[in-house]
Amino acid sequence: KTAAKSHTPSSIKHRNLTPSMHQRNAVLLKPTTALEEARARLHVSAVPKSLPCREEEFNNIYTFLERKLLDNSGGCMYISGVPGTGKTATVNEVIRCLKKLVSKHELNDFKFIEINGMKLTEPRQAYVHILKQLTNRTATWEQAYQLLEKQFIRPTSKKCMTLLLVDELDLLCNKRQDVVYNLLDWPTKLNAQLVVITIANTMDLPERVLMGRVTSRLGLTRLTFQPYNHKQLQEIVITRLKDSNAFRSEAIQLVARKVAAVSGDARRALDICRRATEIAESHDAGTVSMQDVNEALTEMIASAKVQAIRHCSEMERTFLQAVSAEIARTGIEEAIFKNVFKQFEALCSFDGVKTPSITESLGICARLGAYRLLICEHSRADITQRILLNVSSDDIHFSMQDISI
Amino acid sequence: MSKKKNMAIDFQDNMILLTRKYLKKKIMCPEAKFRHHVKERLHVYDLLKRTVEMGESNSALLIGPRGSGKTTLVNSVLKELETLKSFKENALIVNLHGLVHTDDRLALKDATRQMQLENAVGDKVFGSFSENLSFLLECLKSGDKKRSKPVIFILDEFDLFCAHHNQTLLYNLFDVTQSAQAPICVLGITCRLDVIELLEKRVKSRFSHRQIFLFPGDTSGAEQPISAFDDRLQLFEHLLSLPDDENVNKIEQQYDDCTIDPQFGAMWNDYIKNLIENVTMVNLLKRMYQIDVSERSFRNFLAIAVSSLSEKHQRLEVNDFVEASKIFSQDDKVLMLEGLSVLELCLIIAMKHETEIYDGEPLNFEMVLNRYMKFVNQNSSIQSVQRPVIMKAFEHIKNLEFLAPIAGTNTRVEKEYEFFKFLLTPHQVMEAVKNYSGLPTEVAQWAKSSLQ
Repeated sequence: KTAAKSHTPSSIKHRNLTPSMHQRNAVLLKPTTALEEARARLHVSAVPKSLPCREEEFNNIYTFLERKLLDNSGGCMYISGVPGTGKTATVNEVIRCLKKLVSKHELNDFKFIEINGMKLTEPRQAYVHILKQLTNRTATWEQAYQLLEKQFIRPTSKKCMTLLLVDELDLLCNKRQDVVYNLLDWPTKLNAQLVVITIANTMDLPERVLMGRVTSRLGLTRLTFQPYNHKQLQEIVITRLKDSNAFRSEAIQLVARKVAAVSGDARRALDICRRATEIAESHDAGTVSMQDVNEALTEMIASAKVQAIRHCSEMERTFLQAVSAEIARTGIEEAIFKNVFKQFEALCSFDGVKTPSITESLGICARLGAYRLLICEHSRADITQRILLNVSSDDIHFSMQDISI
Repeated sequence: MSKKKNMAIDFQDNMILLTRKYLKKKIMCPEAKFRHHVKERLHVYDLLKRTVEMGESNSALLIGPRGSGKTTLVNSVLKELETLKSFKENALIVNLHGLVHTDDRLALKDATRQMQLENAVGDKVFGSFSENLSFLLECLKSGDKKRSKPVIFILDEFDLFCAHHNQTLLYNLFDVTQSAQAPICVLGITCRLDVIELLEKRVKSRFSHRQIFLFPGDTSGAEQPISAFDDRLQLFEHLLSLPDDENVNKIEQQYDDCTIDPQFGAMWNDYIKNLIENVTMVNLLKRMYQIDVSERSFRNFLAIAVSSLSEKHQRLEVNDFVEASKIFSQDDKVLMLEGLSVLELCLIIAMKHETEIYDGEPLNFEMVLNRYMKFVNQNSSIQSVQRPVIMKAFEHIKNLEFLAPIAGTNTRVEKEYEFFKFLLTPHQVMEAVKNYSGLPTEVAQWAKSSLQ
C-alpha cells in the first residue's frame, strides 16, 4: 500500500496515468419513442455540426483566424455576449473547420489551447494549464511562467502557430492583472506566433475592468453576440429536432417568444423544450402541445412566491400581513419586530384568534426568514431586529384570497 | 396469588414500554414510505432514473421550507431506485453538504473520494486544490454518455455552496451537465425560495431551471382530496397507532425488536381514535397547526407526549398533550423573569417604566437606578440596598440578555453610562409580575402605574 501511496500522485504528474471514469456495467438504453428521441436531441450538450443563426459571427471569426494563420502573425480578439448566445460553441466550430482544412493540407498545422477562467482555482494557474496543453507536463505556476516566456520570446526557426482560447476572461483579472497582461502581451512578440481569442460576458469589460496597457494590447478586433430573438430561437429548436414531429410548431413558437422576451438564452429554450417533452410523456401524448409547453413554462419561469405564501401556516400568513401593514403605516421599507408584533396582535384580535407569544412569533419570523419571504437580521437582536419584506405586498394580498382551512 | 395473574400484569407493563419504544421509533425515524407530494417525487424519480438508464445529464433544485421532507423525499427515491439492478450497479452517488463542505477545496476532495478516482488511495486524496479540480474535470471529460458510469451529485444546503469563492464548483458541475461529458445529475436541496438569484449569471444560464417545490400540507396528490388539517389529523392517528395485525409486525423490519401484541394494539388504536374525536384535543392540534405546519415540529411535539408513557402512566391522556404543547407555546422570557430576585424584577419594572415614558429610547444604569430609588424612597416598607448590589443585579439582567447594548457604542464609556435597548415588552413584564410568587404588594402596584 505504501508503494501505491507515493506512486499515484507522481504518476499523475508525469501523465503516465490517464484520468478516467468508472465504466458502466449495463448497456445504455436507446431512445425508443419519438419524444425520447427529441429529448436526446434537445439536450444542450448535443451541439449540432453547424450552429444556426450564427453564420455572420462564424464568418467573422473564421476570416480573422484564417488570415492570422496564413500570415503567421499574432493577434487578439475579444468576443462578448450574455450567457447562452453561442460564443464558445461558435469558436469551437471555427476551430473544427480550420482543423479540417489542415487535414486537407490547405493550411499549415496549428496548436489549439483552451483555458477557462472558471475552471482555474486562481488566475496564475492559467500558466500551468497552458503549459500542460502545450508540452504535456505539469509544473508550478512560476516554472510554467518561465517556460512559457522562453517559448514565446525565444526565436526558433520552425514553429507552428498557436491558438489560445481564453474563456471567462473576467475571472483572470486579479488586482495586478499580470496574467491577462502576459496572455495579451505574448502575441505582440515577434516570434510568438500566438493568436488569443478572449471570451467574456460584458461588452465593456476592457474599458471597465482592465488597465490601460492591457486594453491597448487587447486591440479593437471585437465581436458582440446579440441575444437570440424569437425567430432565431425557433430556428435553433427546429434544427435540433430535424424532421421529427414531436413538437407542434406553435408550441415551439411559444417557447421561443417567451424565452426571447426574458433573456434570449438558447440553453433556457432547449431546457424548457426538454421539460415539455417530459410533461407530454406524463400525459401519454405523442406530440408536445401548447398546454404541455405552457405547463413547462410556468414551472421554469414563474416564481413560486405566491404559492409558497398560500402554503404557509395561518399565523405565518398573518405575520406577513402584519409586516406589510407596518410598512404601509410607517412608509419605510424596514420594519422593527416590536412594531410588527403590535400589528400582529391587532390582526389576530381582529380575526378572533389568540395571539402567539413573543417566543412563538420570533419562531414564525425566523421560519419566514429562512424561507426568504422575509429578510431578517440575526435573531440576537431579538425584538429590536429589523425586518424587510422579500415579496411584494400585492403578492401577499393576492395570496390571501380564497383560502379555506 | 396465582402465577397467572402475575404474568398478566407483567405482560401489561412490558407492553407499555414496548409501545413507547415502537411509537418513538415511528415518530422520530424517517419512514421508508413517503407521504404525499406524489408528483414531485415522481419528477425526482424519473430524473434520476433517466440519468442512469439513458445517460442524460440533468440538474434540478428541490426547494421547500425547513422540515418539509426534502431529504426524506430524496432518500426514499434513492431507496426505491436501489432495488433496480441497473441502477444499483451503474450509479455513483456523491453526497455533499453545505455545512460540512464549507469551501470548494473540501467539497472537491470529498467528491474525489466518493467517486474513487485514481488520485484517491483509500480515503486519502492526493494533490493540491487546483490539481484536484483539473483531475476531476479531466476525468469527467474523458467519460462519455455511452460508457462511463453516471454520477449523481446531491448537494444538501445548496444555498451555502453559492457563497463559495467564484462558485467554481457549481459552475463546473453545471457545465458538465451541459456538455458532452460523463453523464451527471446535480440535485440541490435548499430551503431558500430565492436561491436562483444567488447564482452568478453564467452559472444560472447553465442551470436547467428545474425547480421542484415541496410545500407542506399540499395534499393535491392524495387519492381523495382532503383539507390540509384533516390530513394532519390522519397523520396524528397514523403516528400514534400500533399494529393490530399479526402480519404487519413481520413486514416492518424497522420495528422487529418491539413486537406488539395485536390484541393490545387493537385496543390502543381504538383509544387513539377516541382521542381524535375529543374536542380539546382537536382544538389543541388546530392551534398548533395554525402556528406551524411543518411536520418536523409536529413530530417533536408527539415525541414529548409519548415520552410521558411509563409503567405508572399507561395511557396517553389529553392532558399529556396539553402539557407537551405548553413547551411549544409558552413565552420563555416570562419564565426567565419569574426566576429573578425581587430586586432584579424591580429593576426590570423600572426599565419598563423608563421605556414606556420615553417611548423606547435607550436607557443606562443611572436612569434605571434613579427611577428605582424614587420608588424605594416613597415606600418605607421596601428596604434599600447598596449601590454596588444594584449594579450587580443590573449586570445580571444584562447577562441574561434582557438588555442589548446599542451597536457601535464607544467601549470607553463607563459601565454606569453605557446605553442599552430594553428587549422586553411591557406585556411580558406584567405577565411575569402576575405570575411571580411572593412578590411584595408595593412592587406589584408600582408595576401597574408608570406615573409614580
